Amino acid sequence: MIWGENKLKESLLYVDDITVMREEKEVLKDVSIKVLPGEITGILGRNGAGKSSLAYAVMGLPNYKPKKGAMYFRGQDITNWGITERARAGITLAWQHPARYEGISVAEYLKISSRKEIDVRKMEEALNLVQLESSYLSRKVDKSLSGGERKRIELASVYLMNSQLTILDEPDSGVDLLAMADIISLFRKMTENGRSVLIITHREDVASQCDRSYLMCSGEIVLEGTAEAVRRYFLSQCIPCPEHKDETGETQE
Amino acid sequence: MKVVEEYSQLLEIASRTGGGASALGDKDTVYMVVHANKIIGKNILPGVEIDAVETAEGIDAVITVTKGTIIEKPVHMCFGHLGHEGKQVIKSKMVIEDGARAEFLAHCIFPNAVEFLHAMEGEIQIGENASFAYREVHVHGREGKIKVRPKSKVVVGGNSSYIGDFTLVEGRVGDLDIEIEVEARGAHSHVDIRSKIYGKYDDICKIKDVILLNGEGSSALVKARVVLKDESKGSFLGLVDGAAAGARGHVDCTEVVQGRAVAEASPVVRASHPEAEVTHEAAIGRIADEKIEGLMAKGLSEEESIEVIVSGLLR
Ligand SMILES: Nc1ncnc2c1ncn2[C@@H]1O[C@H](COP(=O)(O)OP(=O)(O)O)[C@@H](O)[C@H]1O
Ligand SMILES: [Mg+2]
Repeated sequence: MIWGENKLKESLLYVDDITVMREEKEVLKDVSIKVLPGEITGILGRNGAGKSSLAYAVMGLPNYKPKKGAMYFRGQDITNWGITERARAGITLAWQHPARYEGISVAEYLKISSRKEIDVRKMEEALNLVQLESSYLSRKVDKSLSGGERKRIELASVYLMNSQLTILDEPDSGVDLLAMADIISLFRKMTENGRSVLIITHREDVASQCDRSYLMCSGEIVLEGTAEAVRRYFLSQCIPCPEHKDETGETQE
Repeated sequence: MKVVEEYSQLLEIASRTGGGASALGDKDTVYMVVHANKIIGKNILPGVEIDAVETAEGIDAVITVTKGTIIEKPVHMCFGHLGHEGKQVIKSKMVIEDGARAEFLAHCIFPNAVEFLHAMEGEIQIGENASFAYREVHVHGREGKIKVRPKSKVVVGGNSSYIGDFTLVEGRVGDLDIEIEVEARGAHSHVDIRSKIYGKYDDICKIKDVILLNGEGSSALVKARVVLKDESKGSFLGLVDGAAAGARGHVDCTEVVQGRAVAEASPVVRASHPEAEVTHEAAIGRIADEKIEGLMAKGLSEEESIEVIVSGLLR
């Protein structure tokens, strides 16, 4: 299909019509998205829409292997690639709830991210961007960190990875201390030199900062367009959600 | 093998076990090096008395840190055997007198042991206002099933603290059965027991930590980190009895299994005094996928990820 081939050529990431099952349930249904070089792409949707599932499918988690469809990264078919291969090829993910590691210091954790020798100054600079003092380098990435601190360390970590594609799953949750402007400028830094960011969020104000957005609902992409168009549609059609009788439209993370 | 060679080999291996073991042999450090049943090196400084005799199968030692003595540099004890088979039985009595403060590092080095028994029977008495840390690190070879039987009984006096730390992560564990019984006898005494063990092949790792909080306001933390792979087996029994007013205790055990390894944990907490409080947390299981996947998303392979997670746990 010519249309498909064009999308493939211009996209950094092209997810082509994937369906992902979790325990008999289609958590992703015929999902197609593209991420263009140098752009921030948003996936907006309410809690349970399937946003994290999409992030996991792109990252290559074995439990989220598509039963149909394909995924292309820099023109290569990565559908059957494992997590490590994808990471080494330039895809990474800042998890919605990053795992904790007993005994591993923040410094060590940040070093793992960069996969090469990295000097302390660079690590301090990364921590600075998420407003953490350099004293955090000797802290452990374990239960002693608050949820927000852990999230910020994850952001610093993916920042240092310099990946071609950084997926950020609800990057703002638990990081209230960071001003929206700061956090967006951090994401913009991650798009320097033609690199791209895929932001997953349930907040339309975050999505409105993206270059392009998709709206997701019940495992499906229901709208694709400019961030502003998607934001307006979301505010008018999804709050309150016509299917889920919910007065406030409030979503928890 | 000449004594000089045995000495230098033991020291070379000990120096890799961390804790500043390179100080072994220094004139300003208290140390004793035992190979099989021979004391092949010893240095004593004022405030420390070591009365050791060689027995048929090992040594008997009485070690005293005298009243008020504060030893800044850790005391190093090296117990080793470079042979394939044999037996080493160390009987010791350690007395930490009132107001004394010391840290002992015991390096137990059996790099070639296959058919071997290493037994330790220790009695530790800690006076009042004193503090004592005993850290034991084992280095075993990759083969054989060395039997390791450390047993110790510790009594801690008022306002004193005892730290007991046991590490066996390098080489095979063999067949380990460690038993520690500590009585926090004095008021406001504190006990901290940690074990870090990495079982492989068909190793057997048994840990039993029993803490009696008999002193008013005494406290204890018992922490065990056991990683088991292949077909190894591990069991942890941690018992803390809060038997006095204001006694506080906590047992924290994590056992990670891989392959066909089997783990068992029984944290037993008892508050035999109504104003005592003892809590526990125990987790046994495989390393959570999200932990492994989290590191894989940074480019590590699955094996590398597991290695990082395990090394963190056993630190
Ligand atoms: N392990 C699972 N088994 C079955 N259903 C799951 C599993 N994980 C997630 N789901 C379901 O998949 C849907 C999408 O979840 P998720 O991708 O986490 O949504 P979001 O990130 O948008 O909140 C939800 O309805 C959720 O209940
Ligand atoms: Mg989610």
